[in-house]
Amino acid sequence: MITFKLNDKTVQGEEGQYILQVAQKYGVEIPTLCHHKALEPAGMCRLCTVEVFDGRRSRFVTSCNYPIWEGMEVRTDSESVHQGRKLIVELLMARCPDAPIIKELGKKYGLSDTRFRKEEDTCILCGLCTRICTKMGNSAISLTGRGVDMKVDTPFHIQSDVCMACGACASVCPTGHITLEKIRSSVTAVDFKPIPSEYDMGLKSRKPVYVPYAQAVPNTPAIDRSVCMHFKTGGCQVCTEFCGVNAIDHTMQDEVVELEVGSIILSPGFQPFDPSKFDTYGYVKHPNVITAMEMERILSASGPTSGHLVRLSDHKEPKKIAWFQCVGSRDMNKCDHAYCSSVCCMYAIKEAVIAKEHAGSDLDCAVFYMDMRTHGKDFERFYNTAKDKHGVRFIRSRVHTIEPVPGADDLSIRYLTESGESVTEVFDQIVLSVGLEINPDVVRLAKQLDIDLTPGNFCDTTSFAPVSTSREGIYVCGAFQGPKDIPQSVIDASAAAAAAGENLSAARNTLTKAKEVIPEINVNGERPRIGVFVCRCGINIAGVVNVPSVAEYAATLPFVEFASDNLYSCSQDTQDNLVSIIKQKNLNRIVVAACTPKTHEPLFQETLANAGLNKYLFEMANIRNHDSWVHKSSPEQATQKAKDLVRSAVAKVALTQPLKESDLQIKPSALVVGGGISGMAAAQSLAMQGYETHIVEHSSRLGGQARNLYHTFKGEDVQKKLAEMIRDVQNNDRIHLHLESELVQVDGFVGSFKSTLKAGGKEEVLEHGVAVIATGATPLTPAEYAYGKDARILTSLELDRRFMNDDPALKTLQSAVFIQCVGSREPEHPYCSRVCCTHSIENALELKRRNPDMNIYILYRDIRSYGEREYLYKEAREKGVIFIRFSVDDKPQISVDGGRLTVRVTDHILGRPLELETDLISLATAIIPNRDEKLANFFKVPLNADGFFVERHAKLGPSEFATDGVFLCGMAHYPKPIDESIVQGKAAASRAITLLAREIIQTSGAIAEVVQANCSSCGVCVSICPYSAPSFIEETARFNPGKAQINPVLCKGCGLCVASCRSGAIRLKGFDNDQIFAQIFALNA
Amino acid sequence: MSGYQDKIKETAERLLKEGSVEMVVGFRKGTLPMMNEPCFIRRPEDVRQLVWDSNCGINLANYLTDRKEKIAIVAKGCDSRNIVTHIVENKIKREKLHVIGVPCQGMVDKRKVAAACGGDIEAVTEDGDVLSVTAGGAVQTLSRMEMLQENCALCAHRNPVIYDELVGELVAEQTGIDRFAEVRRVEALSPQEKWRYFEDLLAPCVRCYACRNACPLCYCPTCFVEESRPQWVGKGQNPIDIRTFHFLRAYHCAGRCTDCGACERACPMGIKVRQLTSKLNKDVLDMFGWEAGLTLDQRPPLDTYKPNDPNDFIK
Amino acid sequence: MAEFEPKIVSFLCNWCSYGAADLAGVGRLEYPPNIRVIRIPCTGRMSPKFFLSALNEGADAVWVSG
Repeated sequence: MITFKLNDKTVQGEEGQYILQVAQKYGVEIPTLCHHKALEPAGMCRLCTVEVFDGRRSRFVTSCNYPIWEGMEVRTDSESVHQGRKLIVELLMARCPDAPIIKELGKKYGLSDTRFRKEEDTCILCGLCTRICTKMGNSAISLTGRGVDMKVDTPFHIQSDVCMACGACASVCPTGHITLEKIRSSVTAVDFKPIPSEYDMGLKSRKPVYVPYAQAVPNTPAIDRSVCMHFKTGGCQVCTEFCGVNAIDHTMQDEVVELEVGSIILSPGFQPFDPSKFDTYGYVKHPNVITAMEMERILSASGPTSGHLVRLSDHKEPKKIAWFQCVGSRDMNKCDHAYCSSVCCMYAIKEAVIAKEHAGSDLDCAVFYMDMRTHGKDFERFYNTAKDKHGVRFIRSRVHTIEPVPGADDLSIRYLTESGESVTEVFDQIVLSVGLEINPDVVRLAKQLDIDLTPGNFCDTTSFAPVSTSREGIYVCGAFQGPKDIPQSVIDASAAAAAAGENLSAARNTLTKAKEVIPEINVNGERPRIGVFVCRCGINIAGVVNVPSVAEYAATLPFVEFASDNLYSCSQDTQDNLVSIIKQKNLNRIVVAACTPKTHEPLFQETLANAGLNKYLFEMANIRNHDSWVHKSSPEQATQKAKDLVRSAVAKVALTQPLKESDLQIKPSALVVGGGISGMAAAQSLAMQGYETHIVEHSSRLGGQARNLYHTFKGEDVQKKLAEMIRDVQNNDRIHLHLESELVQVDGFVGSFKSTLKAGGKEEVLEHGVAVIATGATPLTPAEYAYGKDARILTSLELDRRFMNDDPALKTLQSAVFIQCVGSREPEHPYCSRVCCTHSIENALELKRRNPDMNIYILYRDIRSYGEREYLYKEAREKGVIFIRFSVDDKPQISVDGGRLTVRVTDHILGRPLELETDLISLATAIIPNRDEKLANFFKVPLNADGFFVERHAKLGPSEFATDGVFLCGMAHYPKPIDESIVQGKAAASRAITLLAREIIQTSGAIAEVVQANCSSCGVCVSICPYSAPSFIEETARFNPGKAQINPVLCKGCGLCVASCRSGAIRLKGFDNDQIFAQIFALNA
Repeated sequence: MSGYQDKIKETAERLLKEGSVEMVVGFRKGTLPMMNEPCFIRRPEDVRQLVWDSNCGINLANYLTDRKEKIAIVAKGCDSRNIVTHIVENKIKREKLHVIGVPCQGMVDKRKVAAACGGDIEAVTEDGDVLSVTAGGAVQTLSRMEMLQENCALCAHRNPVIYDELVGELVAEQTGIDRFAEVRRVEALSPQEKWRYFEDLLAPCVRCYACRNACPLCYCPTCFVEESRPQWVGKGQNPIDIRTFHFLRAYHCAGRCTDCGACERACPMGIKVRQLTSKLNKDVLDMFGWEAGLTLDQRPPLDTYKPNDPNDFIK
Repeated sequence: MAEFEPKIVSFLCNWCSYGAADLAGVGRLEYPPNIRVIRIPCTGRMSPKFFLSALNEGADAVWVSG
């Protein structure tokens, strides 16, 4: 260690360091143009000149390459240093009068002009470019000539073959003398492009060292070997110089890791269809024809245009945008994808609505489609809102060609309207709603694993084992199983985990280790002794915020006993150090000023626990994400902000109390309400994973609505499979059936429910840890289409029954008419019942199988045979089933006239009324939710406007409720076919097991608490809590009867009750009123 | 309306005699003219004290808070709505109440009468729409309808919402009244004008909390203005603290206020405190289609959380 | 006189806006340094008194987001 004086202050540096390095460490600013951390200093620009006093005399040296020595005295800010630098700047101003960085320096040194003769150069001969080029391992350029003739040049002034156009020279050039464009035009023959960012669909570029996207897990950078210079030349490795923790190792090799596993889950996903092969759409040629994935990025705030809606050719804000549906879906001609991709209708509507939100309602959005497939939960509503409220135009037409408008960037299309009129319309931008397809690599993987694929290359599964591949032990989820959206993928994922878990349940907890628990120090009644640790986060914080001054400031705050800064607060050595400082200084409250608590609070809390402190005696000040990263051009204000945030955190932590977490035992048993197909699937999975499971069913038999179904869309015999399933459930020792039973009361909460069943006048109480709601739905009894007036008018399920009974009369029918959307997609039930299109087509095909000559008509509004169900639709058309579309304002009319049964419908192509005489009418009736308010009340779970249960999160929590310990599956969630019901049954079991397997859960300490003396018993808290945590103390209780209390197990600590309590009787531990006030006061101090 | 008074006495006497209630809450003559005061009758012989006329503006629901005995209460439209709110908020149990419903035709504003007569009021009698006021020795006649409290003139729920018996036929509800004209006028002001308006509106406040005490909605064991940790509101006459008190009080009434006018009637400084609650009543009606105290089946909208609550105010 | 620099106290929901502000940092989106964030567990925690108090204590604006 060498000790010397820097501006009269004693500083220390390592042997071999230069003055500049030490000065930078101590935050002393020395200007320089030719210094680069990763390169040997060269002293070229002379700006870093400082004054060195050796005890006798002083000299001027360039600090970048002047080594430090013991006892030296350095001045970086003396008048003579300043004058010297000023002269250097003036000379540079003469050489490069127009370089922005030189102009900036001139301004800083108070020079408006130079006294010397100006040259029109832009190169200051700092040599950074040649040094970095050498570092890159190329040496394509060097400094040539001497004295006034010196310049940066290639050997023999000729174009260099050595240059690989890496752009390093341009990236370091301080004056802008070297630019990528210049390299491209004059230096190299290599054609180079920016590296396209995969995440931004190539609309943005990225670096060779990169984090794929902001939310990537793990959120650490990777080096792209295919473009990194080191892997081309062996040079560079500049990144290692910048990494403060030496985390970069270029010698790392790919490893082959062998894992022994009991189950495999395949979730390789899909790739968006590449529309390049559709030459009539000109996707490759025209920048304003984009894919929906590109549109997603353009609409995203983190996208290439920061969410500003512009078209790519000229960055003009579009006035008219069109979406083309079914690009790469439902199309055998050009892309061999006969299936429907399931998700594109919905995402196109979403994009259109968001585009209008971004650009204003004047934006004209038109969606060109074949059938509008909004069959998901709440999707039909969204479609209607897009149409009626946002004014998105929906045009039923498939457009063949996109023609560029000559002389403009606009796009012209011609299409036929529904009335047959030909229309030409010009759009600013056209979005291709590309479908989903399976990557060829995945197809290869499937071959390797020896699993069967469907015609669409999706993983082949059966309706009754929808996440099992054809090979035992290998499971599948997500879009590889079939095109699907997020909720369905999430349901799949849980189900696949359950399926894998069923295999592995014997091995559960065999590889776990117990954690050592350190006894907690009692700090009650102690005066706060706060430790503040300010993190540099390498240069992430310290590069902007003056970290030492923040730490110094923190030390002056009330109750702060200790404050320091460190390089990386989260590194293991710092953590250890933190523990020892806590002990040594007897600290009882900790503030870490670093990054965000959302990622790092648990880590530091664990450190506190390791030091024996209650983990809630902790607060973070977010001086990275909320400060240094977003205010890098105003370092002074950023430093001030960091101080403010630290002051606020200190004020809060001083008032923090140790909080208690309580243990909650989870009873290892489940109650499944409903013995239909999804309820049984859930029970099977729970039982197979070792949990006692009760099924309560109000009817006398298991099977639910599946008892009424004939075939699945894959042609499986439902009754046969159902019988197997029921047998299996009945024979399972862990499944306890309660048929003809009714739930009459539910008490308790997650982990310990007590449910009272009533059967035949007898009551029985069951204790269970979790509950699964699988109460299903019922078919609508139609009040229209003359239902009930003629035996030939049936519902779909009644027709199924006749198939099951193998009714011989069916063979003799001459004609059959199917009417779709009976009760669905109408004001009373404004949702799509999802299963009916496929069901009717399947039944039409079944009739055709029985009598190929039968005339069959399907009257529909949109055919919604999503995914690979589309094949049935195709097959039906091929077999001569006639599809006639009707509009909801002009529904088919049925007349029963003696023996004649006729349907009148307006043909959508001819626009004329048709009269169909028929022997059978099948009505595709809506699926109606049970709207079970009693059950909803028992488990404190919500129902939506339609009467279906509301899941925790429409996308990410589809099989569980916001109320802990209660799960959801089957048609109680939304209408769905058998395969999806089974998947969700398994998914609900899977989610339940995440709780059951833990046996004991710790509740958070940061929860609400009632101060009963202040409680007015008004019940706001009881009413408003989404989690049913507050309740009234019983009227007969000895203390505080009728007052509110909060169940710590159910409380999520949101504070809704706290803010709603007019009486101020509820406090939120961890975010108490006095703490928030302390923060408000501290921030405004 | 004199018929009401006899019916009230008769009912009260019957209820007390048969012992179905322990107490009857009603009005009796006050010490000053036009100032009827609440009274609590426990003995049948005291029912003669009971009165009913156009000076019964005080909201009697305020006297029910946390009572445990069986009570009969004389309730006009707004009182009955506050009784509903009280039941919903667990301040009293329905089965402990016998509501003697009074179809109401509005209460008279004493300040208006005083201003019209220009002197101290010595006596008032009423006959239908005619008020005969003796002030400064002279008798003047005034139209009762013109002297109504503002909230009564704008009342849309004159008939009791819940009752066990009525003292007269239900009256026709007023139609075609614009309840929120004054609110809209203030809403239309520029921010500066609005600031001035509220500054002037609340300037006379002496922090006596009469408005709060008259209000049946204000029943917390410790009111936020009296709490010291945290001290939500400063104790003095600082205009910021005065405003904070009024704004927060108004917010505590959002979705619960029946516009009974008790607050305004109680204010010794004549501050139009209903201006604040009316604005919130209007917002709650616009956003949630809700008026307080009309149903026992639902909690006020601000007591519940629904994912589809209106949020158009967030832009 | 220096240009007016407002002091803005913001109350951000831990689950959405606070995370969004984190993400703005990850994306290095620059914005004026006038905001001071108080993390709350949910905007449901927000009491009207908090912003009245912040304004009273000298904040020029209060921003609640969640």
